[in-house]
Amino acid sequence: MNGLKTNNAPHISVITPHFIFGAISLLILAVLLILADENLLQAYFNTKLIAITHIAVLGWASMIVFGALYQLIPVVFETALYSEKLAKVTFWFSAFSVLFLSYSFWVGSYVSLLPYASVCMFLSLLLFVVNVGLTYRNATLKNVKSTFVITSVFWLLITELIGTVIALNFKFNFLTEIHLHYLKIHASIGLIGWFVLLIIGVGSTLIPMFLISHELKEKKLNYAYYLINGGLLIAVVNWFLIQKSEIDYLIPLLIIGGVLFFISFIYDSYKKRLRKKLDVGMQYSMLAIAAIFMPFIIIGFIVLSTSFEVDFMFRIITFYGFSIIFGLITTLILGQTYKTLPFIIWLDKYKKLIGKTKTPLPRELYSEKIANIQIIIYFVFIAAFVIGLLFNQLVFIKIGSYALLVVAFLYNVNIFKMITHKVKFKENDETGNHRI
Amino acid sequence: MTKQEITEFELETLELLKNVMDPEIEINIVDLGLIYKLNFDGKDNIDIDLTFSTPSCPLGETIVTSIKETIVQKHPSFCVNINVVFEPKWSTALVSEEGKKLLGL
Repeated sequence: MNGLKTNNAPHISVITPHFIFGAISLLILAVLLILADENLLQAYFNTKLIAITHIAVLGWASMIVFGALYQLIPVVFETALYSEKLAKVTFWFSAFSVLFLSYSFWVGSYVSLLPYASVCMFLSLLLFVVNVGLTYRNATLKNVKSTFVITSVFWLLITELIGTVIALNFKFNFLTEIHLHYLKIHASIGLIGWFVLLIIGVGSTLIPMFLISHELKEKKLNYAYYLINGGLLIAVVNWFLIQKSEIDYLIPLLIIGGVLFFISFIYDSYKKRLRKKLDVGMQYSMLAIAAIFMPFIIIGFIVLSTSFEVDFMFRIITFYGFSIIFGLITTLILGQTYKTLPFIIWLDKYKKLIGKTKTPLPRELYSEKIANIQIIIYFVFIAAFVIGLLFNQLVFIKIGSYALLVVAFLYNVNIFKMITHKVKFKENDETGNHRI
Repeated sequence: MTKQEITEFELETLELLKNVMDPEIEINIVDLGLIYKLNFDGKDNIDIDLTFSTPSCPLGETIVTSIKETIVQKHPSFCVNINVVFEPKWSTALVSEEGKKLLGL
């Protein structure tokens, strides 16, 4: 049966721990936001903010992404994961490393803990990169979408390498430039090279699949690929070697151009969609794609502006990171969780009952009511933080932090509802329909 | 069996397969246009050419199992051979009028 690739899907025990850890990390993240309090309005490189950023991008976002990616690799690469055992070892090592790293930042232990935590994190991510890289080597399908995914994994490794070098420098002091210089490269490559490229690779596969749209122009994705990676390469060369400020204007232009091609691809998919009504998962996802503009507008603002107060500039840079981590990545993950996890659980629980009895639908494995309330409170969180950061209003930051705590709690309720789902038999309906 | 009886049986089987729903789209596979061909040999063999909306459809195996189970439940002695094809490529033009109505098109 050519083309039937579901047998390539890994065992569910590879996937679910990532979703559990990610969901708990979101709770921890919300608690840390509450505890960080006024630190959130101070310079973006303060220890609390850096700890929160790492629990957000590694504990929350990357963990969910790793879990989802292990499941999606058969779809995007059309081959099985190279090693499920390695994926399980990577999970435990990464989970330990994320907590160790975030704790090191939170307590400001830059010399005695951070270098070791950072090396652990690097090694755990290296295991992930090796597993995905070897899987890609066996891939039967190598197109622009799978190239986006594998390139994002490459940038993840570079990001982590730079991060580890910065951490080691706190102990051995060998770098020539100040830390903030390397921090800029570390953050830019991580957010654009890892997350944005991955989102494009996976999004351009999944979004047309879920919207059921065909005959899309993949050339747009090729342009996006070359423009974004061109921008990143120029950034790395300029920031490490040439250091000409004029080149800094070119970098966001190339990256924004690439992102626009991706948005145009998604817009085509939206226009040509067979499925008119969007469910809660796709509502989140389309909002995230729309929010992709925000960080690039801000980065343009940062590059062009020179005459603002330092405090305001710090908050704008925090806002830039916030718009990528929450506006784009978290919104997308919250949405895609409701598109992927129910199917993963449903297939595992009901595979053997297919065709024999009526089974619940995947979307019946979680509470849509909770998911809908969650999306409204999530908007409260986003709005409160936007006001708080732009207008230096701590009270809005506090409201936003508590709103995120509620979102994280509701998200956890649904995640655990799905993961602890018990097989239910249903009587056939009046038409005798049984769902596959 | 006469040719006409075979054709009638094939149409009946297609009707039966309208009970197989795609759980994501919530429309049956016949109205989605996923079945390209269904042949009955007049004895106990049914050959089906089936496609998916995307080559690496995560529900591919599930759909195949469901088709087999649905037919075998009604005709226990039958052998159902399913050939998964991707030529011609599935497109929205293959969705039936009934399917379009269900999708709100």
